[in-house]
Amino acid sequence: MARARSGDQDYRGPVRRILVAILCLVLAAVFLVWRIDSPRVERLRVALLDRIVPPMGWAMAPITTLADMVASFQSYDRIYQQNQDLRRELQQLKSWKEAALQLEQQNAKLLAQNQVRLDPKLTSVSGVVLADTGSPFSKSVLLNIGSRDGILDGWATMDGLGLVGRIAGVGQNVSRVLLLTDASSRVPVTIQPSGQRAMVVGDNSAAPPLDFIGAPEQVHPNDSVVSSGDGGVFPGGILVGKVIQTRDKRFRVLLSADYSRLEFVRVLRSRPEEAVPGAGPLIVPEPEPYGPALPQPAAPPPTITPPPLPDPTMSPAPEPASPDGTPDVTPDPEPVQPAPGAVPNG
Amino acid sequence: MVDPRTAERLTYRALYFACAGLVLFLGLLPLSQTPTLWPVPDGWQEGLPEGLLLFGLPVPDVLLCLTLLWVQRRPDFITVWAVAVVFLLSDLLAMRPPGLWTLIVVVGTEIIRVREADTRDMPPWGEWAVAAVAILGMMLAYRLALGLFLLPDVDTGQAAGAALMTILLYPVLAGILRVTLGLRRAATGEVDQLGKRL
Repeated sequence: MARARSGDQDYRGPVRRILVAILCLVLAAVFLVWRIDSPRVERLRVALLDRIVPPMGWAMAPITTLADMVASFQSYDRIYQQNQDLRRELQQLKSWKEAALQLEQQNAKLLAQNQVRLDPKLTSVSGVVLADTGSPFSKSVLLNIGSRDGILDGWATMDGLGLVGRIAGVGQNVSRVLLLTDASSRVPVTIQPSGQRAMVVGDNSAAPPLDFIGAPEQVHPNDSVVSSGDGGVFPGGILVGKVIQTRDKRFRVLLSADYSRLEFVRVLRSRPEEAVPGAGPLIVPEPEPYGPALPQPAAPPPTITPPPLPDPTMSPAPEPASPDGTPDVTPDPEPVQPAPGAVPNG
Repeated sequence: MVDPRTAERLTYRALYFACAGLVLFLGLLPLSQTPTLWPVPDGWQEGLPEGLLLFGLPVPDVLLCLTLLWVQRRPDFITVWAVAVVFLLSDLLAMRPPGLWTLIVVVGTEIIRVREADTRDMPPWGEWAVAAVAILGMMLAYRLALGLFLLPDVDTGQAAGAALMTILLYPVLAGILRVTLGLRRAATGEVDQLGKRL
């Protein structure tokens, strides 16, 4: 028996070595194939996640709930302090609420006068965060919605407060959101009061730094940062966060989205904007079935025009602006979350 | 009737898969997407350096630690195929380039496995030193390979922090596994119930 086994091992040693060498070659080949044809392997990866992650939901739910309970228990010891802070904050917010109500009325009036249509195609699909990547150097989460719900690569995602990231990888039932904090995330933004363009460059930290600022001397802490829509994929005007300055004089963004508790995420269903191919169509517009073919500007200027004159060059819509200035802001034509079958492009 | 030695070996191989699966599963839990300083209570965080507040504490690579422990203590309880499968899965889940980190870990653990019989009479700190060298070597090789293939890499400081935390985790995890699973190093000349060398 002992001799048989030792003889067995004598011949198993070299065979094992060969097998290990083959294994190493296979692994190296997998890596090289990924390096050469990354999209195909990435699709395989998403397909694997599609298989593995959703059935794990039942196991994750109780543990996630337990962790949340522990976290909220930890917060009990400073609940009194929090209560005081919240009361103070509430007082301030009440005055803000008054201001906001007045501004909202004013805004509705101005919108009605200007016949501005906010982008009606910007509807959203909501998803639940299933899992994260489980690696400290890669910041992304998996959502329970995928190509079945019409999700496409590159769409922006936000929670209730601000931008969370973008879709990078769509499976049948899951999609991956690359968070703004990931080291490979780059998002063009505008810093609000000064209008400076910049990039939010993720570096795995809680507050990603701002890079490529045009004129850094015009940027101050507490400026608000919104997505600029450059590049065409991201819609503009989504709140990202506010500027903070670290001790090394670098500007970073304190993100508005609550990254410590990402649970529900909205995926903004953005269509690519129509590109303007040349000057021709701007000067000679397409003849419309009603009304004369008049020259019209590319986009209505953001300045507010006085209401009483319904200028035909300003409003090519069939009905001119209602002269009495009643607010008729049209509601969103599409429901917020359509049925999965009703999504136009699968 | 399975002989006890084979039964033990199969049990520990299954236990490795179970532990690795648990680590991967816990890593997937969507608890928080912000860097944490969880051992530090909230009130104490004000005076900490800014970099620590921004990046949080470095997170150790628990899976690597677990695998090194298993390979160093009982190499017959973990096959090279188990290492390859577990790390390839973790590569795919963690959005790393698939195959590269697996290849490095497979090569590293094979080197340790071949030398296991010679290093059996090392004191415990010797085992820890081997693990530390292996962790540093593997992480360095990974970063070099990433650089060679022009892939984006993480910040050096963060990677060094992660390596340090992994090295510090090693004795802790060793203690835990010894108490819970009875995973310990075979002594020189130790035999099993049938009088066979381990």
